Amino acid sequence: MAIETLESIGLFQAVCADPYKTAHKASENGRPVAGFMCSYSPQELFHAAGYYPVRITARHGGTPRADEIIQAYSCSFARSVLDRALSGEFEFLDLVVFAHTCDTLQNVADLWRSNRPEVPVVIVSGPTLTAGKPAQTYFRQELDRVHGVLESLRGKISYEAIWDSLHLYEQHRAMMRRLYAVRRARPDLMSGQDLYWVVQAAQLMSPEEHLPLLSDLVESLEAENGEAECFQPRVMLAGSVCEDSGFISAIEEAGCTIVDDDLCMGSRSFLLPEAPEGDPMDALTHIYFSRIPCPAFHRPGFDPGQHMLERAREAHADGVILLLTKFCDPWAFDYPQIWNTLEMGGVPTLLLEVEQNVPAPAQLRTRVEAFVEMIQSKDEL
Amino acid sequence: MSAAPCYAGIDVGSATAKAVLFGRDGSMLAHAIIPSGGQLSLSAELVLTKALEKAGLARDAVQTVVATGYGRDTVTWRTKSITEITCHARGAYFLSPHVRSVIDIGGQDSKAISLAQDGSVRKFEMNDKCAAGTGRFLEVMARTLGLSLEDFGPKALIADTPAKISSTCTVFAESEVISLLAQGETVERILAGLCAAITQRVHSLASRVGMAPEVMMTGGVAKNIGVVKRIEQAIGFTLTIPEEPQIIGALGAALYAKDMG
Repeated sequence: MAIETLESIGLFQAVCADPYKTAHKASENGRPVAGFMCSYSPQELFHAAGYYPVRITARHGGTPRADEIIQAYSCSFARSVLDRALSGEFEFLDLVVFAHTCDTLQNVADLWRSNRPEVPVVIVSGPTLTAGKPAQTYFRQELDRVHGVLESLRGKISYEAIWDSLHLYEQHRAMMRRLYAVRRARPDLMSGQDLYWVVQAAQLMSPEEHLPLLSDLVESLEAENGEAECFQPRVMLAGSVCEDSGFISAIEEAGCTIVDDDLCMGSRSFLLPEAPEGDPMDALTHIYFSRIPCPAFHRPGFDPGQHMLERAREAHADGVILLLTKFCDPWAFDYPQIWNTLEMGGVPTLLLEVEQNVPAPAQLRTRVEAFVEMIQSKDEL
Repeated sequence: MSAAPCYAGIDVGSATAKAVLFGRDGSMLAHAIIPSGGQLSLSAELVLTKALEKAGLARDAVQTVVATGYGRDTVTWRTKSITEITCHARGAYFLSPHVRSVIDIGGQDSKAISLAQDGSVRKFEMNDKCAAGTGRFLEVMARTLGLSLEDFGPKALIADTPAKISSTCTVFAESEVISLLAQGETVERILAGLCAAITQRVHSLASRVGMAPEVMMTGGVAKNIGVVKRIEQAIGFTLTIPEEPQIIGALGAALYAKDMG
């Protein structure tokens, strides 16, 4: 690996090691900070309002405060995020943005709002059926409402400012696509763990800060000569949130090379079309409706298993590992169908049930190793 | 002592360590089972020594060692380690090439494996988060009832209907058993209830993988006829129980060791 590549990965890793340091720094410099919950949040809009965007993440450890007010069958991500909020760990935020996804996170938004009233909580209630003119008209109105709320907090947000943010985010997404493309071809250039430092840091930094570092990294990777030498099974990750790098390293240590993903923080956050020129609010609506639907959403004709199968084939993946957050109903309901589609398509799939606030358990390794053995032919063993 | 080389498979499980030896001609030479102690690596060494004694072979006759089971990586002198999923599938398929499903209930975990026609693993599920509904569960319950493990299964078959035991959590089920005894419930019905509780748990695991005949059951719990009969009723297939169900993982490992030469 080139020195420049190593150095730049070190920068991303440092950001992830102290996730809110960059946001705190922005706050100290007088910039308001907006915490957002999911890739369906219209980041461009609150970025245009001057906020420093930072993704709200879970952390390791117990969730005693959240457990007092939320059911035990809520996912670890929801409980951890709520516990952090109730403990005052997000006191530095000037705004909290939720996008309506699953019922659990909707309730977390309400609990956050009623228990920490000092910070404004904005819920962007987008339609879960992301198709059709009435849904688009409705969402456009919802965006106008959110625009109004942001203006009441921050003053006038011009359409020019929204366009500037839209273009910046577009550039950032294009660069992420380039990163994934170069890594698909040359997974030997950087480990999956290193890739997810970059991916996670993208959620913790404002795009104008992340983009220059990302561009340097992509250019140094693209400048590498040679052919990939990869003898391990190539695996694509899929699932909802995946913040805990413990899972990534555990999967790699068990003998997989991670070559691509269908994760909320990963490819689903940048596989988007360019925004059509004209009204920026229409452009944001277009982006929302063009997203690869996560299982909390529905688009007629979209088959999540088929999408994963095509993506796995494009990435020449030998298998798919689905990281299912325990108690995540939307993913759990979709999984049997996804498994069938991938199985019919000849792509073996492993389901790993994970908890976001608990480090990867040792038993996880046995499952991944067995999966690796399953992929490799019996003769190779 | 013979100088002919042999191949060893060692399965270091949570409750017992198992070893199987194969000769160069493909015949199984010997097997051994011992309780796993605190030092897993030592258990592996001891169980291998015991199997070698039975076969009348010296330690240096062992050409290749494949370790499996949850303690596989503690066997520092292994040639290779392979997971228990792959090894159980291989061992079961070796005993009967018609096997398409394996249910394994060991000391502290249980697994269901679906096999393709060529014997390779198609899909698997593991319950390894706690010892609920495993061998350890049966051991604790037998102790609570003052019975030997050998008597457990046959006695459970005597009852017409099982007592209702709603938990497979070892701690909760133990209190349930004690309450049932206090209420005058018969031991036989309680035993049948415990077998039903284990079955419920393994049935859901098996259903997620999908069972197709021939179904082989492996692991120590396959020796409990009460559990075996209930699982057969639940999944609707007769279970094939190998002569020594505890060594199937080690058997698979030994077959891989032999492949490696």
